[in-house]
Amino acid sequence: MGTLRWAAGRVGGALVVLWLVATAIFIGVRLIPGDPAEAIMGGPGSQASAEALAAARADYGLDEPLRVQYLMFLGKLLRLDFGTSYALRDPVLGIMGQVLPQTIVLSLLALLLAWVLALVFAAASLRATRVGAVLGNAVEIIAAAVPHFWLGAVLIMVFSSTLGWLPAVDNGTGAGLVLPVLTLALPLAGFLTQLMRDSLSTALASPFSLAARARGDSRLQVFWRHGLRHAALPALGMTGWAFSSLLSGAVVVEAVFARPGLGRALLSAVLSRDIPMVTGIALFSAAIYMVVMALTEGIERALHPAGVDS
Amino acid sequence: MQRTIRTRRLVTGTVALPLAAALLAGCSASAPGEQAQDTAPVIGGTLVYASGDAEPTCLDPHVGGNYPQALVASQYLESLFTKDAAGQIVPWLAESTELSEDGLTRTITLRDGITFHDGSKLTSEAIKANIEHLQNPDTKSSTGYLAVGKVLQVEPVDELTAELQLSAPDNALLESLSMPWSAIQSPDALKRGQAVNCEAPVGTGPFKVESWQHQQAVNLVRYEDYVLPAQDAGRERDTAYLDGITWRFIPEAATRYAALQSGEVHVIDNAQPDTIASAEGAGLGHLDAPRPGASNRIELNSSKAPFDDAAVREAFIRSLDVNAGIDSLFFGTAPRSYSLLSSVEPLGIAQEQLFSPDAAKAAQLLDDAGWGERDAEGYRVKDGQRLSLDFPVSTNQSVPAEQSLFEQIQASAKEAGFEVRIQLLDLSSWYGALAEHKYNMVSAPYTKVGPSVLQVIFHSDSTTPAPSGYFANNAQVTDDELDDLLTRAGQTNDAAEREQLYAQAQRIVLEGHYVLPLYDQQNHFLYGKDVAGMGATTAVSSPIYYDVFLTN
Repeated sequence: MGTLRWAAGRVGGALVVLWLVATAIFIGVRLIPGDPAEAIMGGPGSQASAEALAAARADYGLDEPLRVQYLMFLGKLLRLDFGTSYALRDPVLGIMGQVLPQTIVLSLLALLLAWVLALVFAAASLRATRVGAVLGNAVEIIAAAVPHFWLGAVLIMVFSSTLGWLPAVDNGTGAGLVLPVLTLALPLAGFLTQLMRDSLSTALASPFSLAARARGDSRLQVFWRHGLRHAALPALGMTGWAFSSLLSGAVVVEAVFARPGLGRALLSAVLSRDIPMVTGIALFSAAIYMVVMALTEGIERALHPAGVDS
Repeated sequence: MQRTIRTRRLVTGTVALPLAAALLAGCSASAPGEQAQDTAPVIGGTLVYASGDAEPTCLDPHVGGNYPQALVASQYLESLFTKDAAGQIVPWLAESTELSEDGLTRTITLRDGITFHDGSKLTSEAIKANIEHLQNPDTKSSTGYLAVGKVLQVEPVDELTAELQLSAPDNALLESLSMPWSAIQSPDALKRGQAVNCEAPVGTGPFKVESWQHQQAVNLVRYEDYVLPAQDAGRERDTAYLDGITWRFIPEAATRYAALQSGEVHVIDNAQPDTIASAEGAGLGHLDAPRPGASNRIELNSSKAPFDDAAVREAFIRSLDVNAGIDSLFFGTAPRSYSLLSSVEPLGIAQEQLFSPDAAKAAQLLDDAGWGERDAEGYRVKDGQRLSLDFPVSTNQSVPAEQSLFEQIQASAKEAGFEVRIQLLDLSSWYGALAEHKYNMVSAPYTKVGPSVLQVIFHSDSTTPAPSGYFANNAQVTDDELDDLLTRAGQTNDAAEREQLYAQAQRIVLEGHYVLPLYDQQNHFLYGKDVAGMGATTAVSSPIYYDVFLTN
């Protein structure tokens, strides 16, 4: 019963949040100076005639009173109709569908790489000397703090311009994915390592690990069976956050590496004041965030039902 | 013919830009011409082009009508007219043209034997269909629409000849028809509707649009039945050397240049001054193709204080030494302009003496104008008002070097007692600030072929805002004599009279100190060592890759 109530509350809360996000976007984009009809006519400062602007307004319902526009907007959202992009003149949902897989692949690969790197570094740091540990710690903190924009530019300069090992932009082979994935993964890996190492050393020093060692388990067995499981938990809890940070990182990384994707679509939509596109992507990102959060929370409930309820 | 255009164009470029002569000699802009003669052209290969502009939302430049559209459309669409090396308008898809005595009927005869990519023949019906397409509000054209504004109707006379009836004489019509924004498309293709036509416009150009993968690339392939609209092609076949062009969009300048360095792309646009300097050192090619129309300039808003006083405008201009800043910030890639018009406009006049820095004179002018006092921060004041200037700057239009130049201007104006308040704005907010007249000075580019751009940006009619709030006369010049000169200059049939009237008009604006010219509208391309034959451009300086080939 508790689970059902929890799920119902989750869905209801999510709907309210989505409605608030939609309303905030609706109001926000109309506070930006300039005429949306201008955006439809190829951008601000167009010398479109009065007739052309009127035609554009009528096409997109911009000649209706604001509250009518708002209700029309909500009504369409309920039917999952995000409207037509001003700039690309295609349904927003279709455009998002086209670019979404690229961003998902990029984000998932980055998430995977970040996890692997974090595990390796966290495990290695257990064996490290004091100097090594301090050094490792510093590297992690720097990695976690580095902005994607800067990291991407540096990786391009080193591996593409100077060494010529990897392409700066995608050339159809998988090689084009390496630098963008690295750019996204490294800061996250730095953060996850910090998170994991503390709980890993706590877990390995805890009574149950000592007991397992006393039972005759090898160090490696203890590490895999006990240490890792405990170390992974806090990091797993952060996965929802991590995924959303990857999505926002994708805006920068897709622009730097000229990759198609949700982030780049969002950036160009914002620059061209493509209101339906911005609205669609923002709502979609909010929805994804809530789904991932609900999933991770659900997993945590499954693992420790009592802990979550209390 | 295009090749002669290119070769001669580079020569005039050198003559017209004496300041740049030394640079041009050192840069490789002139090399491709020689290379094209030395190296036998290689047929085949796909050129990868990387644009720094935002991806167009429609590949048909009739729709909207901006420069990024012109850059790509120049490969698959052609215009009725083009520009030769001397900057004169010459027929292209058109073979000949005549004007009636009253200047109200323009007859255009097309070349025979030209076909569109869809196989249909280029006939006079195409002229009618295209001009009507531009004038139809549903097309949502803003640039091409203005170009054909004076055309009342188009009457096909026979298969290849059409008569254009004009509402008033317009001697800029041929220049307007030379721009990619009014290029000729297949009438059948236009009937497909805008959504389809935007994806793959159908023209007569040396390449055709094969596909457009949004956010990735526009794929162009050679048009095998291409006929060069010129007498002497000097080639066995008229078709382009390249198999095709992959037109990509790489917004990040550093990534774009890295991709060029590593050979992933062959040509990049929007090359920035520091990159050009580094590329030339690395042996990469550089094409400097200043855009036609107006020069890049700071316009002083004469409709409100303090620039409603001509003496204050002159004082501001005289208090600045912008040459040193331009030289250092643009690494010598942008020669100083003292003209309202681009250096590629033959009718532009330059008046260097009006812009020579003179701090003593500036101070005297300001003292005489009542701005003698200074406040605690050193700014001049009058009746308790500080001598402040709002300067909205568009971060989309002003490249980083230009933004730095404006900061230098801010610093030197401060010494003279001006407070320049720079606001960095995105494009929408910037246009918003202009529409609300929240500016005392502004830099706004304007690309157009021919001196009629002067009419657009300095006639008092252009102080009246369009429905969008947009107006082109940012200096807010309202001068009856100037209006009269511009109107007559735009209507006369006599080329000498046109030149003389436009010269007079330019003198009024220059001597009125409404404008501080800076340099041509910058338009730089860099290309790899394996790219040969670069140089030919359209009338709006967008390169054509018809002559280009890859050497490996």
